Amino acid sequence: MRITSANTYETSIDNLQRRQQELQLAQDRLTSGKRVARASDDPAAAARIERALAASARADANQRGLDAGRNAMQQTEAALGNATELMQQARELVVAAGNGSYTDAERANLGARIAGLRDQLLAIANRGDGAGGYLFGGQGSAMPPFVDAPGGVLFRGAPGRTEAQAGELVPMTLDGAAAWLQARSGNGVFVTMPGASNGSGAWVDAGNVTDPSALTGADYQVVFAVNAGVTSYSVLMNGAPTAVLNQPYVSGRSIGFDGIALTVQGTPADGDVFDVAPSANQLSVFDTLARLAGDLQLPGRSPAQVAQSVASGLRDIDGLFGNLQQQRSLAGESLNRIDMLEGRLAESKLGAQTERSIAEDLDMVQALSEFQAKQTGYDAALKTYSLVQRMSLFQYLGN
Amino acid sequence: MSASGLMSLGMKAMTASQAALATTGHNIANANVAGYSRQQAELATAIGQFSGAGFFGKGVDVTTVTRAHDEFLTREAATAGSLAAQDAARLGLLRQLESVFPTGEQGVGYAAGQFLNAMVDLAARPQDAATRQVVLARAGDAASRFAAASAQLDTLQLAVQEDLKAQVAQVNQLAQTVAGLNQRIAAFMGMGHTPNDLLDQRDQAIAQLSEKLQLSTVKADDGSLTVFVAGGQRLVLGSQVQPLTVQPDPRDATRAALGLSDSGFVRLLQDNELGGGSIAGLLRFQNQDLVDARTQLGQMAAALAGAVNQQQALGLDLRVPPGSGAPIFATGAALALPNANNAIDGAGRFIGQVSLVVTDASQLWASEYELRADPGGTPGVYQLTRLVDGLVRSVASGDAVDGLRIDIGPGLPAATDRFLLQPVSRAAHGMQRVLDDIRGLAAASPLSAAAATGNTGTASVASLRLTSTAADPELTASFDFSSDIGDYSWTLRDRLSNAVVSSGTGTWSAGTPLALNGFELQLNGVPRSGDSFSVGKTPFPASNNGNALAFTALRETALVGRGPLAGGGVGGGQSITDAYASAMARIGVRVQSAGSAAEISAAVAAQAETTRSAKSGVNLDEEAARLIQYQQSYQAAAKILQIAQSVFDTLLDATR
Repeated sequence: MRITSANTYETSIDNLQRRQQELQLAQDRLTSGKRVARASDDPAAAARIERALAASARADANQRGLDAGRNAMQQTEAALGNATELMQQARELVVAAGNGSYTDAERANLGARIAGLRDQLLAIANRGDGAGGYLFGGQGSAMPPFVDAPGGVLFRGAPGRTEAQAGELVPMTLDGAAAWLQARSGNGVFVTMPGASNGSGAWVDAGNVTDPSALTGADYQVVFAVNAGVTSYSVLMNGAPTAVLNQPYVSGRSIGFDGIALTVQGTPADGDVFDVAPSANQLSVFDTLARLAGDLQLPGRSPAQVAQSVASGLRDIDGLFGNLQQQRSLAGESLNRIDMLEGRLAESKLGAQTERSIAEDLDMVQALSEFQAKQTGYDAALKTYSLVQRMSLFQYLGN
Repeated sequence: MSASGLMSLGMKAMTASQAALATTGHNIANANVAGYSRQQAELATAIGQFSGAGFFGKGVDVTTVTRAHDEFLTREAATAGSLAAQDAARLGLLRQLESVFPTGEQGVGYAAGQFLNAMVDLAARPQDAATRQVVLARAGDAASRFAAASAQLDTLQLAVQEDLKAQVAQVNQLAQTVAGLNQRIAAFMGMGHTPNDLLDQRDQAIAQLSEKLQLSTVKADDGSLTVFVAGGQRLVLGSQVQPLTVQPDPRDATRAALGLSDSGFVRLLQDNELGGGSIAGLLRFQNQDLVDARTQLGQMAAALAGAVNQQQALGLDLRVPPGSGAPIFATGAALALPNANNAIDGAGRFIGQVSLVVTDASQLWASEYELRADPGGTPGVYQLTRLVDGLVRSVASGDAVDGLRIDIGPGLPAATDRFLLQPVSRAAHGMQRVLDDIRGLAAASPLSAAAATGNTGTASVASLRLTSTAADPELTASFDFSSDIGDYSWTLRDRLSNAVVSSGTGTWSAGTPLALNGFELQLNGVPRSGDSFSVGKTPFPASNNGNALAFTALRETALVGRGPLAGGGVGGGQSITDAYASAMARIGVRVQSAGSAAEISAAVAAQAETTRSAKSGVNLDEEAARLIQYQQSYQAAAKILQIAQSVFDTLLDATR
């Protein structure tokens, strides 16, 4: 085959250029550290990179949602912590009010302080989360969620919890009604209360359960009668007489029926009634404290009436206390879950980054050795070019 | 033999050597001229003169000058060059196209993903003005990224058109050159010698033409060359040229098509007949690669906008009073383009009318369609061809196909009418965010679900998803479980009057939602007898984030390219980021394979050129050797003259 001079030059130049291009590409990759700069470099890897990038961005966003949830739950937990402290103070004030040597004025003073605590608690219940929402806003609420209306504090919100997206849903709020307005009344099973028209001589305690299997869940009335100086009582169930009929009354002795035991103390008047009703989820922090404050501020009450207020007050405060603690543990449990979720998010982000790095990053050792080889090749090509192109017959025809 | 005979013999030898030297010099001079064929002076022994002593040679004659030429090799080199030029042209454009689908943070998919990610923040702070501003900014980002990508495609389209015009002008110029050379060659051929340099020039013009457009040639008796393109369309006949023109494509006027003017009448050339050449590469890029890129981009734009706007409509915004969310994105419309050759009425308007309505953006295909009247002639029936995979279906007006409703009329198309349907091709074009009011973002859900406070089972509300804008917030639904195995009764009550509107019973099983009144309620855990759940109007939409949560779910939802499943229902598809990843990978594969095709065809062309030049090219060493050879024969011939002179002188001296 004949070798054509012009074509030889063309081909050699083409080859040199191609080698130079390859060298430059290898250098590009080395300096950027990336194996895939454009999709055509490795389409499958490029798609993997894209998906890993999206997963990583998603994890970042979920982390932001998670942080918002954690922030809200931490604030909620702290708010509930404050609330239990205040309730503790209220409890101490109520205990103090039971001191028989206190005057009306001193009790009124205690009552006023309880009213102050109630206002503080209302402020806590209406605490904002710093981002326009409310810690106890449920699934959305008015602003603020708790309104001090005539007849008691109302929750103007939707029950349930608002949730943020963090890959899984994490709570942003607690159900305000459940936390503040829906503690279990009485001792958790039943509520004892004096009749509205009772005299001022006797008071009833919170009672307790002696036999859970005997409980009926019905309404009872303990009705007192005084005949010729002898006090006796009967128990009515839903208005109908029961087996407990005209029992002699001794102050402080337990009155038992259907698994329930309660104690009436003092001297009941004829016709005094003490009601026993099943507990319900309707005990409000604010109403309880307001009632207590009001009771303590009333002048001229008998020791039995004061004792009644203190006994029911302590019972209710304990119930509320338990409920707030339960809500607090709910918030704590959410924080726990958020921490675990954060671990999972971090893992998925790390996984995405690893995936991206595997697909995208250059194996430096391999790339360097390839670069070496290409450099050597280019060098050799240049040398042979210069050698071969010098050879021409005309060189020898000088003279 | 006389001394003058010897003299003339020497003269002839010298002339021959000179001719050979001149030819060699010509070769050396043209060694680097593209298309030059090596020439050779053809020498022949002059017929001897008869004498009694036999034949005496009369020296040498120069018969002609020939060129080293192989028609087959030349044609092959031109064809190979043609294919290489096509691949190279397409590769160059594909590389530009690839930059419309960049990887990583610059990509459309990333911007769309970030927009949906911003919804996470909106869900955490549904009332926060700054968060809402961020969501709107991300929405704007995503929309303008789509619009910019579409604009880049438009720029590429324009570049193709301009390039096409320039190349067609060059083709016409070269065709003129060939025609001119044809004329001159025909004139010279009559003289009995081949005009080598003119033939070389014509071969070179043909080779250059081939790079633009693959062609075939037929040689006439007079030496002129007839040039055909596009499988038999005449470009040059003798000295006549039928120039190429660039026309708007009758199917879609924004695209360019190639035409051939034949005595004032323009005939369109079919792309698939063009063969190789850079013009064919340009057209193939325009009609396949660019169309695919456009439809894929448009499919994503339409699907994203469709899903987002739909979710937006399901939610409540922050206005007072709250209303259903207004659309966030506006996209380009679905187009039904009538063919330029369709029947027109007296006023020049097209008679047949077709319009498209997108019914489900998530089911749109990344394709264009051709619509024509039923070839069987059944009235009211039309043939619809999905161009991306060639699927042919029969449709009637009002049919919904691939998420698209096709309305035909009131003017009915004629039997020969054609329509090019572009449901998504222009969707990304000018895509923009149309929601400017931050309060317009519908973060709230009009319905919210709650478990009754007295519930004893472990079930809680996992999610409440609205499936239809028909969900009536004035109705309160309640589900009351009557057994531990999921039996429940449901009632729908009027929210204000509490009157029962409808009721019924059902059985819940884990994982299946409770569906009623345009919503789906998912429960976690197991409800027990006596438990109840209610779904009613959201009392405080301002602080509700139900719809924002639904937006965040769009991140993983398959909202692009869903289709009907064999078992009924709609499924499949990809999330927006996955769809972008595969679109990008598809373009990448295309560039990669075009790259290797270009590499291969360039190598083939180089090989063919080397083979051709081995036959026709100049080797300088060879020419150097020839120079010495002919120099020596010239010197020898001169010696003959010298001897002849001295013989003559001797004769003169003898007679003195």
